[in-house]
Amino acid sequence: MSIRPLLRFWLFAVAVLSVAFFGSTAVQAAPMPKEIRIGTLYADSGPFAVSSQSQLQGLEFWVDHVNREGGVYVKAYGRKLPVKLIAYNDRSSTTTAATLYNQLITQDHVNILAADFGSVLTSVAVPIAQEHKMLLFDQTGTGANFFTNDNPYIVLTSLPTSGIWPYALADFLKTQKQIKRAALLYATNDFTGSQAQTLRRRLQGSHVKLVFDHGVATSTSSYALLLHNVQAARPDAVIEFGFPNNDIAFLHDLQASGMKFNMVFTIFPGQLFALMEKSVGDQTLAYTYTYPTPPLLVYNKVNYGMGLNDFQQEFRQANGKDPNFLNIAGFNTGLVIQKTLQTAARLDQLALRRSIVAFSGRLHTLNGTFKIDHITGAQIGENLPVGQFIPGKHALTVRMLYPPDLATGKPVYPAP
Amino acid sequence: MDYWAKGCGLPRGGWYSVGVVALFIVLPFVYGNHDLLFNMMMYLALAQGINVLFGFTGYLPFGYVGFFGSGAYGASLAVLLLHLPPVLALLVGAVIAVLLALLLAPLLRLSGAYFAIASLAASEVVYYIVSNPHLESLTQGPYGISLARAYDADASYAAMVVVLALAFGVVVYLRNSHLGLALQAIREEPVSAEFAGVNVVRERTCAWLLSAALAGLAGGTYAWHVSVFYPKSVFDLNISVFAIVFTLFGGVATLLGPIVGTLLLYGLYNWIGISQPEYFQLVFGIVIVMLVLFLPNGLASLLRRVNVHVP
Repeated sequence: MSIRPLLRFWLFAVAVLSVAFFGSTAVQAAPMPKEIRIGTLYADSGPFAVSSQSQLQGLEFWVDHVNREGGVYVKAYGRKLPVKLIAYNDRSSTTTAATLYNQLITQDHVNILAADFGSVLTSVAVPIAQEHKMLLFDQTGTGANFFTNDNPYIVLTSLPTSGIWPYALADFLKTQKQIKRAALLYATNDFTGSQAQTLRRRLQGSHVKLVFDHGVATSTSSYALLLHNVQAARPDAVIEFGFPNNDIAFLHDLQASGMKFNMVFTIFPGQLFALMEKSVGDQTLAYTYTYPTPPLLVYNKVNYGMGLNDFQQEFRQANGKDPNFLNIAGFNTGLVIQKTLQTAARLDQLALRRSIVAFSGRLHTLNGTFKIDHITGAQIGENLPVGQFIPGKHALTVRMLYPPDLATGKPVYPAP
Repeated sequence: MDYWAKGCGLPRGGWYSVGVVALFIVLPFVYGNHDLLFNMMMYLALAQGINVLFGFTGYLPFGYVGFFGSGAYGASLAVLLLHLPPVLALLVGAVIAVLLALLLAPLLRLSGAYFAIASLAASEVVYYIVSNPHLESLTQGPYGISLARAYDADASYAAMVVVLALAFGVVVYLRNSHLGLALQAIREEPVSAEFAGVNVVRERTCAWLLSAALAGLAGGTYAWHVSVFYPKSVFDLNISVFAIVFTLFGGVATLLGPIVGTLLLYGLYNWIGISQPEYFQLVFGIVIVMLVLFLPNGLASLLRRVNVHVP
């Protein structure tokens, strides 16, 4: 064999290997972007408009906050980059939302994808994000269907999945020996239906018997007749699970009926206090029970981002109003994104998810402890305690009742 | 009657259908937002479904979404409960929609606004039945459907292309057949049509069932494409409203009218929604008002005024 063909062979082999090696290196080392693009949706009309805009406001506040500080630190590039928020209006329509999520991924090429408010508008994002291998920062979509073992492209940031919301409530009821008969009235949708299911399951075998268990359409706006049925069952506690419109109608009709129950629980006074106070008044809310969330609930163990007081002050200055829970939820999503970018070695989507798993359970924000199920991405850390509105000299205050480590007092039972 | 356009081998309007379908086959290779294309096809199919009923018989079904939703649920439950492959499940969805249409066929005894409102009420009834928590073991009640295991974005896109072609095929057929002529005669004057030997009840019911089948197929394909949805998402009245507005905008009883209406209005809807969302309501509102004031019979009437044949 002559040396020339052999030399030619080796030169060719080296050339091929060089192209393969340096070529692939060039593909891996994507150029550094000028900014971090975060894509999200909001609704300026339709049934989700109020909640969606509040959530967006919180996320926008976070974007402004980090940009004032020179941007967000991105470990993958070893420097701070400004954040650009791209937000499209889905008008509360799932069909429009599907198109717009796709637009954010395929046309705007966002680095981070955050969902709109709630389960309905998040539902269409789940398969789209999975198909495009894009990690979905699910802010408040708590539907149990979203979180499956085979989908690593979703993380719930600012609320626990709805099925675990009533854990503290069920445990609280079980500790109250004088409560033996409970009535459960719930709106039939994924969010409150799953809570009813959990409560039922967790009360099984306890001394608390469900003497009334009834689902109503989410569009229910009159509870007068239902309240009479509830009263006929003679419950010691009445638990009503609904959306804000349900809670308002329920509390309003309860007040109008003149009926008294020893314990009344509703969800949204603890989350949208200003709205509920305006809609039904302090007198109706007095002595009722709820899931208090920030800003009604203050988490002192904050190791990342602003504490509640600083947040309230800055938010008030920026927006001219007090923040509500959904503002905090949006801001908290921003904090989770920030921490993710600070710790992810690369900007690819699975690397982001891995970095979230790594800090899960160790991130304490003004919204509580961020902790996800490592397999499904469901939020399991930000548990909701039970509190009671107590009339003060000038306004209602919230007394934390359960779990014991958050408790600030004992329940006023029966309600006067 | 000349059913076939001279020398082109397809019925009149056939080439437009082929062109639009071909466009949606090619577009995914050059444009990345496949959901936009999918939704546009879905509304094109629904607009043609509305066209079959309203354009050819004069019955305006505000509750058209009832068939769409029942198709979505029929197909989904066929996948979840019967373990059928999605393509077969789509046919089940269409059958469920047709069965529902048969059940609601007595509504055709009403007309005008009474029919429109009654069909809307019927779709709400179906929605409440499907989302009833007591039917959780069958329909999953209000807690939504997850077809995550059957999810296939490309296959469902291809299925929607077929549904679209079918919807065009139905309208092309009606535009070029005795049945279409009979339906238009019924729309204009049912008594005279009956005197002329048209079986009014049978032909009208036929259009009603065809229209329902198209909506059922579109609904089933939509369910497969989104794979996670709630009852409210597939019984959303806006779906009916959009399909009706797109049809009216383009012009009813034509093949081209709903196509132009959907492409223009849904394109505009998305373009403004993405680029200038703050002006969306204003621009969309102005377009609709102008249409009602100056072109109540849709864009097709504009072409007819200058003696252009609209297939």
